[in-house]
Amino acid sequence: MPTPPFEGKGKRPADEIPEPGRYATARGFCLTSAFWMIVAASAGLLGATELIAPDLPGSLAWLSFGRIRPVHINLVLFGFVTPGLLGAAFYYVPRLLRTELFSERLGRLTVLAWNGALVAIVVSLCMGYTQGREYAEPVWPIDVLVVGAFGLIFFNLALTVKNREEPLLYVSIWYVLAAVILTAVTYALGNVIWRPDSGALSGIPDAILLWFYGHNVFGLLLTPLSAGVAYYVIPRACRAPLYSHTLSLLGFWSLLVIYTHIGTHHLLQVPVPTWLKVIAVTDSVAMVIPVMAFLINIWYTARGRLGEIHADIGAKFVFTGTVMYFFVSIQGSMMSLPQVQRVTHFNNWVVGHAHVGVLGFAGMIAIGGLYAVLPKISGRPLFSRFLADLQYWLILIGVTGFTVVLTVAGLIQGNAWLNGETVYRVLGEIHMYYIVRAGLGLMVFSAALIGMYNMARTLFPRKGGAP
Amino acid sequence: MIYPYFITYMAAGLILAGGVFAWALKNGQFKDQQRARYLPLEESAKAGPPSDLSRIRKTELGVLAGLAVAGLGASGAAIVFSLLQNRP
Repeated sequence: MPTPPFEGKGKRPADEIPEPGRYATARGFCLTSAFWMIVAASAGLLGATELIAPDLPGSLAWLSFGRIRPVHINLVLFGFVTPGLLGAAFYYVPRLLRTELFSERLGRLTVLAWNGALVAIVVSLCMGYTQGREYAEPVWPIDVLVVGAFGLIFFNLALTVKNREEPLLYVSIWYVLAAVILTAVTYALGNVIWRPDSGALSGIPDAILLWFYGHNVFGLLLTPLSAGVAYYVIPRACRAPLYSHTLSLLGFWSLLVIYTHIGTHHLLQVPVPTWLKVIAVTDSVAMVIPVMAFLINIWYTARGRLGEIHADIGAKFVFTGTVMYFFVSIQGSMMSLPQVQRVTHFNNWVVGHAHVGVLGFAGMIAIGGLYAVLPKISGRPLFSRFLADLQYWLILIGVTGFTVVLTVAGLIQGNAWLNGETVYRVLGEIHMYYIVRAGLGLMVFSAALIGMYNMARTLFPRKGGAP
Repeated sequence: MIYPYFITYMAAGLILAGGVFAWALKNGQFKDQQRARYLPLEESAKAGPPSDLSRIRKTELGVLAGLAVAGLGASGAAIVFSLLQNRP
């Protein structure tokens, strides 16, 4: 069997070995992602365990569920998934533009600032410093650091685009630039950065603004970054051109127009203006346009070439991520309908949905992106295809299991509450599902450790190893 | 007091997107779409011919397809259940 493009043992052609310092930014974000995935998964595992045994942290307030949960969420979002997708982007953007990154030094500084923000997030949240708004918990100085980091990334990438030799912007470039600038704006607005003391407005306007942010910080950050990686990795793995670049641009522009308005579907039970709810629900359903434009394009590109997808571990992760995207998008559109929300909102269904989206879709694609670019930025083959496959199956079984148990638990909760059952009587019914969820969390945590080891051995081989 | 925040937010997004779209149109970003399809492939020319699916990979595909069907079925059943339970 011929050696797949990104794997196998032995020397690689000299022109594929990057000179020292090249891809330092991509390398930094890759390592950031792998490391913080471990911390994020351990926080998630601890939180899941505390749901089974609430007395576990005892008097250690910094380990209490109310502090560990935001640590888990913020680290998954900004520590694991976003840096993973950015690590791939900092490799493919210069390649697609046939130029060098504008400044690797600036990129390294960004990686440092990014990690500084992550450390500050963990420390401050564990100490109890929080803005108390979901997904917007970090306090003002960290908000400034995060917005600044996104600003630096945009500056670096935009000037790379300016210096390009390739006149055409491939769709991945559009996606990554949009993700970075939109998130910088969304983060600043959503965290009410002009009010450092509270980081919030008051009353209903704050709820509306928070959920514009809460949805968009995933939808306008992880979705476009993931799409950008998929549009790069899948055609390369299949050794086939993209099915339709025009369709990909249609998906991109429709995402931009539609996705920005749907946050209010989190507030259908709240006295916000009806017209805003109508916009949110309508656009949530209309999301089928950008989603299917993306999926049809990727799946038609891979049509008849699943052998190549399976031969390339990066593409395997990415392709699975696109399947998860299909599930989470269909779920998302349906969940925005008021009739469905009566059962599915405010319970574990939503937690299951979030895990499919962030781990199953964006997380899978982030890891796939890392595996796709690792051999390129290191100039070496991946240390172990077996470990990568093991990681793949642990995460796939973990996230599928999360979906099943959390969906079932959510339906039990939703249906019971709809019928007037009290909360404490339902807790006993869902206890078993929480135990299974924690077990699955252990699998994901193990997968994170395996991924870090595989990446470290690829990037830092023992002396005397392959160049 | 409610309206200015989110109208500004939504309008800013649309205006920004409109401006960039106009730039793209003016700079020919929507022309030569056929060539654009091949842009990620420039480095792949050295790769060997495609590999066939082994039996293990076919099994793997079968398992994946099974998971996909199960997941979709579960989601569909849950949504139907929700709608039936909430009939006015």
